[in-house]
Amino acid sequence: MDNRVYIIGRDSVPQYLRLDAGEELAMTLVVPPGTDVQLALEIDLTGPGASLDLAGLYLCREAERVDLRVLVRHSSGGGTSRQLFKGIVGGTARAAFDGLIYVAQDAQKTQAYQENHTILLSDAARVESRPQLEIYADDVQCSHGATTGYLNPDELFYLRSRGIPEAEARRLQMVAFLAPVLRRLPEPLSEEIYAGLS
Amino acid sequence: MNNVLLEIRDLHAGVEGKEILKGVDLTVRRGEVHAVMGPNGAGKSTLGGVLAGRPSFEVTAGSVLYDGRDLLALSPEERSWAGLFLSFQYPVEIPGVSITNFMKAAVSARRKAQGLPELTPAEYLKLLKEKMALVQMKGEFARREVNVGFSGGEKKRNEVFQMAMLEPTLSILDETDSGLDVDALRIVAEGVNALRTPQTAAIVITHYQRLLDYIVPDVVHVLKDGRIVRTGGRELVDLIDRQGYEGIDG
Repeated sequence: MDNRVYIIGRDSVPQYLRLDAGEELAMTLVVPPGTDVQLALEIDLTGPGASLDLAGLYLCREAERVDLRVLVRHSSGGGTSRQLFKGIVGGTARAAFDGLIYVAQDAQKTQAYQENHTILLSDAARVESRPQLEIYADDVQCSHGATTGYLNPDELFYLRSRGIPEAEARRLQMVAFLAPVLRRLPEPLSEEIYAGLS
Repeated sequence: MNNVLLEIRDLHAGVEGKEILKGVDLTVRRGEVHAVMGPNGAGKSTLGGVLAGRPSFEVTAGSVLYDGRDLLALSPEERSWAGLFLSFQYPVEIPGVSITNFMKAAVSARRKAQGLPELTPAEYLKLLKEKMALVQMKGEFARREVNVGFSGGEKKRNEVFQMAMLEPTLSILDETDSGLDVDALRIVAEGVNALRTPQTAAIVITHYQRLLDYIVPDVVHVLKDGRIVRTGGRELVDLIDRQGYEGIDG
């Protein structure tokens, strides 16, 4: 499956996409450092058996304002959608993630999953995560999960006890956290993100 | 070369205002293996954590000289560069970081701190393979994420593997025997024994005598309620084995 990568603030991102019967889409959204963004995206799985694999990452460590709204609509049965959004928020930046999974009454046998995880690097950084499910069919598998936390101090001590300097250890922790999304990016872009983690 | 490697004097330390170590004195010379034994809650792991610089522990009094330096003034990474190694009782899982990348970062940081040139990729690979063989780890091990999905035995072998990679001067093994079956115990002990030299020393922290059948200590200490209440030779291990910690006091 092709993976369409969009860099927010540089590429034009579609606001609405529809997936017909059996159609598959993999898509990755990247909010690079220093980007203010208000993005609303709706993806409609209109045909039976359509499949969506959506991931995103946001890296805002200064004073950025990031506002992502994603609506995944299952209008037809047997479709699958997976969403994984991961972010690192520091400085006085603010990030908001609104994710709605809508499953219509006819969309039986839908599988829809959504995860949003954020790491905060400072006390002044803020994140608001609002995952929502709106389900009208009765035979579906849907789940969502959201976490917000700090870099794990036990991991940090473990890395430092092996001689990895604190700054490098933190960078490794951030790379590890973002890895599932970073793996989806072409090299020059992932290199740029790595550089943004130093 | 200074024969005394570690000198702990009247060490008091605790966590969140609660005192756990209440005046520990301990001297370790090069070439020696010391066992620190004691019941649960005696402060054994606190001692290991304080020596390695775990930030959650607070030292309230006393001093620790390591190779003539003030150990407590050093950051955890500086202690590692100076040759100190702690094998964790509960090794930490780091999803997303492979063993290869983890150890590469550790080895390069140490060489940089020591003013040595970076290893070439070929040199690094050779080192990695050699040390993996020591703890009987196979090729795919290096690509796995650090401790993720590892069995108890694999985690402890991974600790000894890291110890071998970093060639420490002072190794502190915190309950390295817990959760190991006999085979894993033997692999771990053989790994540790292979790294013994007249210049290096080890502190083996353990509740049971089991590991000490394989790693034979020169000096045995009993830690109870934050103090070393008894110091002796191997015979102390047998005594504890026979009568437990109850009757052992200063």
